[in-house]
Amino acid sequence: MAIIYKNFKASVINSLPLLILYYLSLSEIDTHFSNMFEILSFNLQIIIIYYWMLKNSSVLGNGHIFFAGIINDVVMGLPLGISSISYLTVSFVASYIRQVTVNISLFTDWFTFLLAIFFSNMVYLILILNFSDLQISYVDMSYNAFFTFLFYPLIWTVFNFYKKIMFLRADD
Amino acid sequence: MSSSRDDFGIAIRSALLKKGARQKFSLVFLLFLAIIIFLLDIYQVKFIKFSKILINDGIYRLTNISTAPLKLLPKINETIKETAFAVEENKNLKTKLKELQNKEFQVEFLKNQNDSLRRILESDVKIKGKSILAKVLLDKDSPYLKSIIINRGSKSGINKGMPVVDGNYLVGKIVEVNYLSSRVLLLNDLNSRIPVTFGEESIQAILSGIGEKKPMLEYLPELYEPYGNLTVFTSGKDGVFLPGIPVGKTEMDELNVKVKLFSDPNQLSFVTVQLIKTNKDNF
Repeated sequence: MAIIYKNFKASVINSLPLLILYYLSLSEIDTHFSNMFEILSFNLQIIIIYYWMLKNSSVLGNGHIFFAGIINDVVMGLPLGISSISYLTVSFVASYIRQVTVNISLFTDWFTFLLAIFFSNMVYLILILNFSDLQISYVDMSYNAFFTFLFYPLIWTVFNFYKKIMFLRADD
Repeated sequence: MSSSRDDFGIAIRSALLKKGARQKFSLVFLLFLAIIIFLLDIYQVKFIKFSKILINDGIYRLTNISTAPLKLLPKINETIKETAFAVEENKNLKTKLKELQNKEFQVEFLKNQNDSLRRILESDVKIKGKSILAKVLLDKDSPYLKSIIINRGSKSGINKGMPVVDGNYLVGKIVEVNYLSSRVLLLNDLNSRIPVTFGEESIQAILSGIGEKKPMLEYLPELYEPYGNLTVFTSGKDGVFLPGIPVGKTEMDELNVKVKLFSDPNQLSFVTVQLIKTNKDNF
């Protein structure tokens, strides 16, 4: 019984980042605070994906990232797959950074996160501009990218703290 | 240079192809899948169009359910605010209502007091002599002692034995005098004994309190056949009370003659104390 409880508790705690990712994609909640500060918006999904793919890819998994992207596209009314590609690009950058980096610190994470944002937004822009009729505001997109980058250390600290209470195996 | 390019290639390959122990799909597979879905959606393929309708419906419902608690938040917030406002308003209204009720009681009390004082002032003063109006301070109904406390004492010239009247009607006499207050022993108290007279024949008797509302007539003439509805007055035989103060009406209670007092001893709010000189020996 105690083992079952422990396993259940571990799975709930370990699944929380994934649940947040799904919930953010599924719900109408966004991280746009235009009512508080006109230009303030950031992409929490990207931060979650980048952080956990970098620290421990078993927490999220590429399959879930793909599905979260599909769901986000449906909810946001974007062409199907566009967010998936964008998210998987972030995942790819994170996986690459993990492969080539030995010492991971906040600074290196933060700096390399800039690459992830860049590639993710680039892919997003290329696909939108070339394959759909959607109009997007480059200024808004830039602000979003900027604040996503800016808030990364804050979220990094929170996740780092949360990671300590998780029941994680050594990353594969 | 060649080595670093190799490392780069290895890292890229690893990132794209490595699945890991828990992952079922490699990154490159999912990327390709996402691109295919994207292209199919962009080019409006019938199959993906139909699938998208189903997916949209399912996800919209899920979104609706998942955001339901959040949609409730503003309502809950509003309800809490409204409830808090209602509670506060209710509290204020209760306070106001209480204040109004108090005012109403005060008005009623003042009205009654005014009526009572007016009655006293307008009544035909049959009782001669100096008198003083007193307010009943305490009218605590005790099973043993029928008395009241008034707000006049020796300061106002009150002495023991002075008769106390309500309007024109006798209610009792002073039995205890303090500087600012006095105790009035009521006619229905067990210790009260008043010489009275009644009827055409001016029958003399003693009005004795029996602890009940109606005192009893004692020491009646031996051959006297009592009957009711006769007015009883003080006789003044004791030298304490002035003669002719109305007390009540006789009532037959089997063989006893009781007196229904004109002034209800339980309903006194103002009384008048007759400031007459009392003979301490008589008292």
